[in-house]
Amino acid sequence: MRKISLSRQIATQLIFLLVGLFILIPIWSTFRLAFDGSLRGRPTEFTWLPKEFSTEAFLTVLDRPYQSVEFSILLRNSMIVSFGAAILAILLGLSLAYGFARFRFPAKQTGLFVLLLAALLPPIAFATPLYIILSLLKIRTTLLGLVIVYAAFAMPFAIWNMRAAFQAIPKEVEEAAYIDGANNFQTFLRISLPVSLPSIAVTAMIAFLMGYTEFAIGWLFVDKADNVTLSMAVYALVNGQFAGAQPWSALGSLAIIMTIPVLVIFILFQQTFMERLLFQEPA
Amino acid sequence: MNIKLNNPIVRILAILAVIALAWTLRARAVDKLSIDYDEDDYTRAGQEFAHLIRTSNWSGFLETNYRPEHPPLAKIVIGVSFLTTPEEKLLADRPTTSEPNKYIPRPLVHAGRNVNAFLGGLTVALLAIVNPLAGLALATHTFTIKYVSQIMLEALPALTSFSMALAYLQFKKTRKTGWLIASAVFLGLTAASKYLYCVVGIAILIDWFMSAKEQDDVKPFFKNALLWSVLGLVIFFAANPFLWADPVQRLRESVFYHAGYSTSAEEVQEAGFPVWQVFNWLVFSPTVWHEDVFVTAPDFLITVLALFGLSRLWKKERLYIVWLGAAVFFLLLWPAKWPQYILTFTVPLSLAAAEGAASIRRSFIEWFKTPKTVYNKKEARQAIPWLVPGLLAFTVLTLLPFVFQLGVSVTDFNSASIRDGFQGGIWREVSGGLTGQIEAANPEFPFRSKEVQYTGFSGYLPIFEFITSDGILVFNILWMVVSSSLQALLGLGLALLLNQRGVTLSRFWQALFILPWAIPEFIGALLWLNIFVPEIGWLSLAAQKYGDAFLFKSFVGWEESSSLWFLIFLIPAIWYGFPLIMLAANAGLKTISKDIFEAAAIDGAGSWQTLRHMTLPLLMPLLLPAIIIRGIYAFNQFYLFQAFFFSRSTLATLSYNLFNPNSGFGGVPGGQFATSAIINIITVLILILLVAQFNRRMQNREEFRNA
Repeated sequence: MRKISLSRQIATQLIFLLVGLFILIPIWSTFRLAFDGSLRGRPTEFTWLPKEFSTEAFLTVLDRPYQSVEFSILLRNSMIVSFGAAILAILLGLSLAYGFARFRFPAKQTGLFVLLLAALLPPIAFATPLYIILSLLKIRTTLLGLVIVYAAFAMPFAIWNMRAAFQAIPKEVEEAAYIDGANNFQTFLRISLPVSLPSIAVTAMIAFLMGYTEFAIGWLFVDKADNVTLSMAVYALVNGQFAGAQPWSALGSLAIIMTIPVLVIFILFQQTFMERLLFQEPA
Repeated sequence: MNIKLNNPIVRILAILAVIALAWTLRARAVDKLSIDYDEDDYTRAGQEFAHLIRTSNWSGFLETNYRPEHPPLAKIVIGVSFLTTPEEKLLADRPTTSEPNKYIPRPLVHAGRNVNAFLGGLTVALLAIVNPLAGLALATHTFTIKYVSQIMLEALPALTSFSMALAYLQFKKTRKTGWLIASAVFLGLTAASKYLYCVVGIAILIDWFMSAKEQDDVKPFFKNALLWSVLGLVIFFAANPFLWADPVQRLRESVFYHAGYSTSAEEVQEAGFPVWQVFNWLVFSPTVWHEDVFVTAPDFLITVLALFGLSRLWKKERLYIVWLGAAVFFLLLWPAKWPQYILTFTVPLSLAAAEGAASIRRSFIEWFKTPKTVYNKKEARQAIPWLVPGLLAFTVLTLLPFVFQLGVSVTDFNSASIRDGFQGGIWREVSGGLTGQIEAANPEFPFRSKEVQYTGFSGYLPIFEFITSDGILVFNILWMVVSSSLQALLGLGLALLLNQRGVTLSRFWQALFILPWAIPEFIGALLWLNIFVPEIGWLSLAAQKYGDAFLFKSFVGWEESSSLWFLIFLIPAIWYGFPLIMLAANAGLKTISKDIFEAAAIDGAGSWQTLRHMTLPLLMPLLLPAIIIRGIYAFNQFYLFQAFFFSRSTLATLSYNLFNPNSGFGGVPGGQFATSAIINIITVLILILLVAQFNRRMQNREEFRNA
C-alpha cells in the first residue's frame, strides 16, 4: 500500500477535526458550566468560557452533593454496589459459562438461546418482580438488595461473554492436560481460568460499570438517604437543577467527578480492554 | 398450505374463496363506513360528469374536472356509476379542510362506493391468481378495504398500476411486445387517475434497467423505455380530456398544486406527522376510527410477515421489492402523509407477507427436522456440576421474575391487593384461571378489590393498541435501525480513515475518538442535555446571542417537531455508540493480511475497488456482532430518554414507557404492575423474532467454530 497523497491527508485531517469537535463540544459545554462561579441557577447567556472561573462547585459537591449525605458515603455505596454486583455475577456465572463452552448436553442450544435472550432484555423489565421478591426478603432498600439486582442484570451478559472466552481456548491445550491425568476441575483451575483471566476481568469491568452508572432502578428500590449511590445523586441533581434549586455548575462538576474513576480504569486497561472485548463479543 | 395449492382445483377454489371474501368485506364496508373527508368532493366531481353524460354534452368534458389537482379518470368512473341513480342536486363546493359532509344522498354514496369496491375486488382477484395467500392478505387489509370502499380516487389507480406491473412481468417472461404495450397503456390510465401511483412505473424502469444491465444489453433498454414512456404519456393525454384545451398550462397547474399543497396546506401542517409516518400507518388499523366495520384487522400481522418475506420475494420477483422500496422511499420524502397513500404499495406488501408466511413455515419445518445435538451420557453427566450453581442463580434471578411477570399480567394485581398477592393470591388466581376454575373478571379501573382477581388476557389488547396506534413501536424499531446503522457508518468510516498509511497524528485522533466510550452513558446524555434543553441550553442561548448568523438556529424549537426530536436524540446516541464499532473495525482491519492489499495494488485495483470487493467482505463478519449489540442496546435505550427528563412517551423506547407508567401507560386502564409485565412480554416477543433471524447466522458460525 502506498502512502496517501497530500490532498487526501488534508481531507482526512479535516474530517478528523470535525469529528473531534463533535466529540468535544458536549464535554466542553459541561466544563464551562462546572467551572463557572457566577452561576446561581440556570445559565442565562451564551458563553464560550466560564464567566467567572472557580472551583467552588467542585468543593460543594465533594462536601455534600445530595441532601445531607457526604460524598464519601455516596462513593462508598457506589463501590460496594458495583463491585459487589460484578463479583457476584462473575462467581455465579463462571461455572455455567464453562459448562456451556466445554460440554455437550441435551437442550444446550435452547439454553444458549434463552441466555442470549435474557442478555438482550431491557433490565427495567425485571424491576417489578425483583422489587417484590426483595421486599419479601426484606432487603429491598439495602445495599445488598441493589447488589443482587445489579448482579441479576449483569449475569446473562457475563455468562455469554465468558463462554466465548472459554471457547476461544484451543481444545488441544485442554486435551493435553487430560492426557497428563488432570481432571475437569484441575484443567479448569490450572489452564482455562488463567488463560481467560483478562477476558473475565473485562467482563467484570462491564458488570461494574452497569452498577456504577445505574440510577433508575436504584431510585425505585432505595428510600434511605444513606444508601444512595453516586449516580443516583447525579440524577437527583438533574431534577434539582432544572427546578432551579441548584446552580447548573453542581451537576456539571459532579458528572465530571463521577467520570474520572471510569476514565482512569479505561486508560489503565486500554490495551487489554480493546483486544479482549472486540474478539470476544457475544456471538 | 403451499403444498395443497399445487393441486389446480384446490388452487382455483382458494382463489374463488379469496375473491368472494374480498367482495363480501368490501360490500360490508360500503354499507357501514361513515362518510369521510373528501368523499363529498369526489361525489360532486362525479355528479358533474354524470350530468354531462346525461345531457350528451361531450364537449363539456374539455372544461370539467372538479378538484383539478387530480386527473379526471377516476372521477369519470364515479360519474358513470351515478347514471344508475336518479339525478340529485349538485353538492356544495366546500374547502378541502371542511368536515366530512354527512348529507350526501345515500343512492349516490352507494353507487360511487360500489364501483370503487368492485374495482378493489378486481385488484384482489388479480393478486389471488398470482398468489392466493397474498390475495387473502390484501382482501383483509383494513386500510385497503377502507379506501377502496369509499368515494375516493384510490381503487382505480391501484388496479391499473398493478395491471401495469403484471403486464410488464409478462413481457419480461415472454419478451412479447404486446405485453409491453399493454403495460404502457396501464401506465397512462394510472397517470390519468392519480399521479402518485405512477411510482409503480418508476419501479418498472428500475427493474428493467437492472435486467438489461445483467444481460449487458443496456442500449435497447433506453430506446424501449423511452417508447414505453411516450406511449404512456399519449394514453394519459387521451384519457384526460380536461387537458386537451390547454395542455401545458393545466398540467402545470395540477402538478404545482401538489408541490404547494404538500408543504403549506393547513391540514398538512396541522396533522404534524413525523417523516416516518408511513411506517406508523403500516402498523395501524382504521378500526379505531370506524367501529364495527371490519371483521378482523390483520394489518399489523401483514406488515410483520412482510418483513420476513422481503428477501424471499426479492429472489422470486425483484420488481415487487423495488416497487415497495420506491413507494416507501417516496412517501418518506413527500411532506403530506395521508394514510390512503399506503395503498400505492399494499399489493407488493401483501405478496411479501405471503412469502413471509411461507418462509416462517419452512423455518419451522427445518427446525423440527434438524437432528438434535449429539452427546454422550458420560459427557452430559460431567457437565452437571458445572451447570447447577449458575442455573440456580439464573433461575432465581432471571427466570423466576419472568414467570412471575407472566402470571401478574393476567391478573389485576396492584397496590390495593398487594397483601393478598404476596400471600399467594397471584398463584391462586393464575392457576385457577388457566384451569378454567375461575372466570375472568373485568374490574373497573382504578382497581379497589383487596383480593387479586384473574382477568385473563383482556389487558393485552389495549396495551398493544397503545404502542401501535401511538407510534411507539415504530419509533422504537426505527430508532434501533437508524441509530445503529449511523453508528456503524461513522465507526467504520473513521477506522478506515485511521488505517490509511501515513496519516498524521492517527494515535492522537484515535485516543480522542474513544473518549465518549469511556464516559458512562447517562453522563454522556447529561452532557448533551446541557446543550439541547429548550430555552436555557447552549443551543438556545447561542441562537439568542448570534441570531440568524448561528448555523444551527433552525434546530431551536426541536422539541415541537417529532422529526427533529428523532434527529436530536440520534446525536448523543451516535456520539456514545460509534467508538465501539470503530474499535471493532480497527481490530478487524489489523487481522486482515497486508499481503492482500499489496496484491490488489499490484493488480491495479483502485482504493474504492479494494474497499468494496476486499476490505468490506473480509471485515463485515467481524463487525456484525458489534453492530447487532449496538442495535439491541439501541432498542432498549433507556437512560438517554430518562436523562432528557421531559421526554415524550410516544417518541421514546418501550423500556422508557415501561418505567414511566405515569407518562406512558398512565392513559391505559390497568394496574401498573400488570401493564409493565405485558409490555415486557411484548418486548420479549419482538426481540425473539429479531434474534431468531440472527440466530440462524450465529449457529452457522458456531458450527464453523466447533469444526
